[in-house]
Amino acid sequence: MLNLVWLVPLFPLIGFIITGLGRNHLGKASGWIASLAILASFVVSALIFIELKTLPEDIAEHTTGSHVVHLFNFINTHAMQIAFDFQIDALSSIFLLVITGIGFLIHIYSISYMSHDEGFGKFFAYLNLFVFSMLLLVLGANYLILFIGWEGVGLCSYLLIGFWYKNIAYTDAAKKAFIMNRIGDLGFLIGMFLLYSKCNALDFKSIENMMPTLMNDPSYITAVALCFFIGATGKSAQIPLFTWLPDAMAGPTPVSALIHAATMVTAGVYMIARSNFLYSVAPIAQQVILIIGLATALLAATIATQQNDIKKVLAYSTVSQLGFMFMALGVGAYTAAIFHVITHAFFKALLFLGSGSVIHAVDGEQDIRNMGGLKKYMKITYITFFIGCIAIAGIPPLSGFFSKDEIMMHIFTHGTNGKIFWILGMLAAMMTAYYMFRLLFITFHGTYRGKGHPHESPALMTMPLIVLAALSIVGGFIGIPEVFGGHHALNAFLEPILLKSQALQTSIYELSHQNEILLMGVAVFIACIGITMAWFGFKKYNAADTTKGIAKFAEDKWYIDELYDKVIVKPLFGISKWIEKIIEKAGIDGIVNGVGRLIQVGSTKIRLLQSGLVGFYLFMFVLGIILLFALQMWLVKF
Amino acid sequence: MNAIVLSGIWGVVMMFAGLFLKSSKQIQWTALLGIIALLVVSILDYQAHSVQAQTYFGMMTIDVYTSWFSILITACCAMYLLIFHKDIAAVGKNEAEYFALIFFVMCGVYLLASYSNLLILFLGIEILSIPQYILAGSDKENIKSNEASLKYFLMGAFSTGLLLMGMTLIYGATGSFDITSEKFVGQFEQLSSMSSLSFVGILLLLISFGFKVSAAPLHLWTPDVYDGSPTAFTPFMATIVKVSVFVAFIRLFHFSFGNVSDAWQIAIASMIVLTLIIGNVTAVYQQSLKRMMAYSSIAQAGFMLFSIFAVNSTLAYKGILLYSVVYSLASIGVFAVIIKMKDYTYDGFNGLAKKQPVLAFTATVCLLSLVGIPLTGGFFAKYFVLSAVVEQGKYIWIVVFAVLMAAISAYYYFRVIRSMYFKTGEAAMHTEPTTWDKTLLILNAMIILLLGVLPSLVFG
Amino acid sequence: MNIYQITFWILSLFTLAFAIGVIMSRNPINSVLFLILTFFCISGHYVLMNAQFLAIVNIIVYAGAIMVLFLFVIMLMNLNSDTEPQKNFLVQFAGVVSGGALLLIMVAAIKSSLTGLEGKNIDLINSTDIGLIKNLGTVLFTTYVFPFEIASVLFLSAMVGAVVLGKKDSALKTAE
Repeated sequence: MLNLVWLVPLFPLIGFIITGLGRNHLGKASGWIASLAILASFVVSALIFIELKTLPEDIAEHTTGSHVVHLFNFINTHAMQIAFDFQIDALSSIFLLVITGIGFLIHIYSISYMSHDEGFGKFFAYLNLFVFSMLLLVLGANYLILFIGWEGVGLCSYLLIGFWYKNIAYTDAAKKAFIMNRIGDLGFLIGMFLLYSKCNALDFKSIENMMPTLMNDPSYITAVALCFFIGATGKSAQIPLFTWLPDAMAGPTPVSALIHAATMVTAGVYMIARSNFLYSVAPIAQQVILIIGLATALLAATIATQQNDIKKVLAYSTVSQLGFMFMALGVGAYTAAIFHVITHAFFKALLFLGSGSVIHAVDGEQDIRNMGGLKKYMKITYITFFIGCIAIAGIPPLSGFFSKDEIMMHIFTHGTNGKIFWILGMLAAMMTAYYMFRLLFITFHGTYRGKGHPHESPALMTMPLIVLAALSIVGGFIGIPEVFGGHHALNAFLEPILLKSQALQTSIYELSHQNEILLMGVAVFIACIGITMAWFGFKKYNAADTTKGIAKFAEDKWYIDELYDKVIVKPLFGISKWIEKIIEKAGIDGIVNGVGRLIQVGSTKIRLLQSGLVGFYLFMFVLGIILLFALQMWLVKF
Repeated sequence: MNAIVLSGIWGVVMMFAGLFLKSSKQIQWTALLGIIALLVVSILDYQAHSVQAQTYFGMMTIDVYTSWFSILITACCAMYLLIFHKDIAAVGKNEAEYFALIFFVMCGVYLLASYSNLLILFLGIEILSIPQYILAGSDKENIKSNEASLKYFLMGAFSTGLLLMGMTLIYGATGSFDITSEKFVGQFEQLSSMSSLSFVGILLLLISFGFKVSAAPLHLWTPDVYDGSPTAFTPFMATIVKVSVFVAFIRLFHFSFGNVSDAWQIAIASMIVLTLIIGNVTAVYQQSLKRMMAYSSIAQAGFMLFSIFAVNSTLAYKGILLYSVVYSLASIGVFAVIIKMKDYTYDGFNGLAKKQPVLAFTATVCLLSLVGIPLTGGFFAKYFVLSAVVEQGKYIWIVVFAVLMAAISAYYYFRVIRSMYFKTGEAAMHTEPTTWDKTLLILNAMIILLLGVLPSLVFG
Repeated sequence: MNIYQITFWILSLFTLAFAIGVIMSRNPINSVLFLILTFFCISGHYVLMNAQFLAIVNIIVYAGAIMVLFLFVIMLMNLNSDTEPQKNFLVQFAGVVSGGALLLIMVAAIKSSLTGLEGKNIDLINSTDIGLIKNLGTVLFTTYVFPFEIASVLFLSAMVGAVVLGKKDSALKTAE
């Protein structure tokens, strides 16, 4: 089965080709074809996962649990050889399951959600292409294949954000996402070049094996690690490149759920977890990641508390949660980060789909001030959304609690400043609970303030919600901490791929059981405070209230977009104008035109040689002979 | 070897065809049959020689490389005849004789590909040249055609004189015509032991070859001859004949004179520089597409000379094979469009894309290949010959210069594309292309594109 | 210096003198006559090299057949010194200079071979009897049979060409 791994990305690719070519003919069938393709991938992924899990111990250990499947030689020149290989191990197989599993649910959901859209076929073609690229990203056995997938998902994200391209604001959002990602990609590319320049290889295994020699040059490794991290900040929306993600909500809601919550934005986390051998020996880079992650988590959380667009709240929440994941990566707790990726994929997809269901119910309205009291009209959506909220807030025994708690434990025990980071992280966690329940209360409680009659969504939309809600409840049980007598299944599963870096840097926290339970209690208590604050603040919500002071500041997103505009965009435009006027028009055009004119003049002169007289030709012939002889004899003494 | 015999015999067959077959169609079909038979025979020859090189009469050495080249050049000639056979027949009354002469030229081509004796080289070059003098003047009513023929003949006679003188001097120094003989090889083993008679002889041979491939400063005949000749024969002279001279060139200068490359590399380097400048710069000025293609063929010869320049590099051998095929097919493709037009000036092509999208497209592919744009065979052709020079490591600056010149060439090639696609006009046709023509042209373009992706196909 | 060498130098001198005569004379008929004389001198060289057959063939083919043909053509076209276009002095001067330069550069290139030439005794006679008709025939039909046969293709193509150029298209048209 492992050798058939190429089937996994193949199905979405076929789906993409079929739905893409038949987008004007297939009608509603394209949705089912696309979903079927993902389902097929999911089945293959599941089989691969099971086989990987049941592999005999010794073989697993021997190969550090990873299998490279060689497909063909991608770049095959004398100086450079890069194979098109897929790598299957614990990490990629988990991601395969998450991508195809959640991808399938969201496809099903989209069939209903997009049913009235004229770009129905196109939408599913893009979605399939996205899944294909994402699978390429996680399956690639070297940085180049990963990068192909990386760019592919960026492209699909661009296409899907600007899906309703007739709206200028939406295409602007798409462009913003693409450009921000490109900035990050540049960092990634430079990192790859740096890596290749010294290692002459890009595949993970060779580089991992080369680490002992590379460790002699810590500044080099730090540079590579930071370059890759810049790539990750772009894709995973971290400071300073996070502003595209809230704008990306311009796309259809299933896209937000799949791409901008569950899968694509976690690509940065995946990439760093994949490069754990690199980061574990680059403590400076780790420190940077930790600080950026924390800052992002806090900043995004404050903004989320004041947003009134249901999807914007969720978007900032995603940024904030990604911040948590990066904090985990920053302290070397790769398993915890992956754990949070998984649980976050469950409950954030659930929340987004729930919000989609709400938006669907109120005829495309996204402003929560015009909602309220929806509890009455849509029971299933309400219950599932509520489950999502308590999961993200970190109330046991739902999934969010376990993963977030694990991250916080690692941070608490990390170094001397760990406790400060922990306190700040807890602050962000409290805000998480606060803004999620604020959203819940404003949207579902009180009385309905909008127009029309909200209605529950069709079964095709609620079924995925129920499945995801169930997953959000039980998802945490794959990583029950040992203090509860559980066996951390995920940790055991992922252990082989982290062996090398664990040998370099231990990231297993050591806390007495008493302290651990105490910390958990504090965490739950803080979450409850957040919920209570939301309850008192928004039990009776008045939409006319305007925000003031610091809240206004947060509502306007800390004016970061405006700051970027002033500091980067405007000066860049100025420079471009200047370059266009001076260098382009006068300089380059002048030179090019000058050369062109020179050649034209030369042409008219040389043409005169062509007099048409044979006698003259022979004369030139003789002169040519003399010239060639003279040059040859003069330059090489014979 | 069989190909040589068959091409000679088929020339005679064509003469008789002219006598007995009354219909022009039948004559054309006989010619096409002949070239297909020639192609088959050369493939059989290739299979016979693919294992081991074989020497005939001490005059010819046929090995894998030469027999493979024979296949390629025969295929190019087949493409030429398939596309142009109607136009050839339309040149004048003696259509069977034109085809006969073309087959005689092919005989010369095979001789040049596999000679191992200077006598055969001389005979090959003459068999190649004399029919060309005739073909150039075959449009007897046209004074330009007459002029072309006479000019070509006079200049060609001059260069033949130089060729013979060069051979005589080399014979004087070595005492042998056989380039595989001990005496001959011994003479050119190292520069210090080489006689100065050989030095002059080599340079004279170089100049004579340079004349045949229209390298500057011996190129002056080219524009007049290519422009004056009937358009049906120009592509033949500019492609198949020229590239086979290149193969003869590379055979002698790498195989025999490779060890004494210091004695002639400067001369050829200056030839390359002059050829690239004159070919490219003068082409910019031209108003007639046919004349532009004549200069383009000079410029392309400058690139092919790189393969001679890069001594003993396998890349050069590969490069000249690829360049031969790609350049031939591309030029044939462009001429096939030119001949369909009433007006050969750039303005005559205005608006062709609207009127004849297939012609415009195939011409565009061919022109892009001539520029050397990636994804067309021309890119790899240029890449191989230039990297052969880089690999050799001497005079890298010429490569930089060549790339600059290739940039200039983009100007006049793209001008055609601009005329066809971005200008409005009548694009008056001389003859309307048939479906058969279009199919062939598309096939031709497809081969060029295919070679742009898989250049190794021509390496055998 | 023996008799052969004396003959060689005299013949060479005459050859060059007649060759110059060919290009210097204004009257085409004189040119052709000079050319015939040049061929005779070259035939003399052949005899010196013990190649009697070549000498005779040279006289019969070149001096006899071809040159007579030339004379006919010239007479039929009624060319004489008056119809010869006047070349201006500059062109002639340039021609002379470039020709001289070519000579100079050739001599310069092979001068190292020329030094020491006096020491070599050029055995003009009896060095080889390849030029005898019997030997020539044997070689031609054994060692050089392939070029000999190939030459037939060359001549055939030249003949075909002559026919192509010579036949009148318009005459054919009227015949149809």
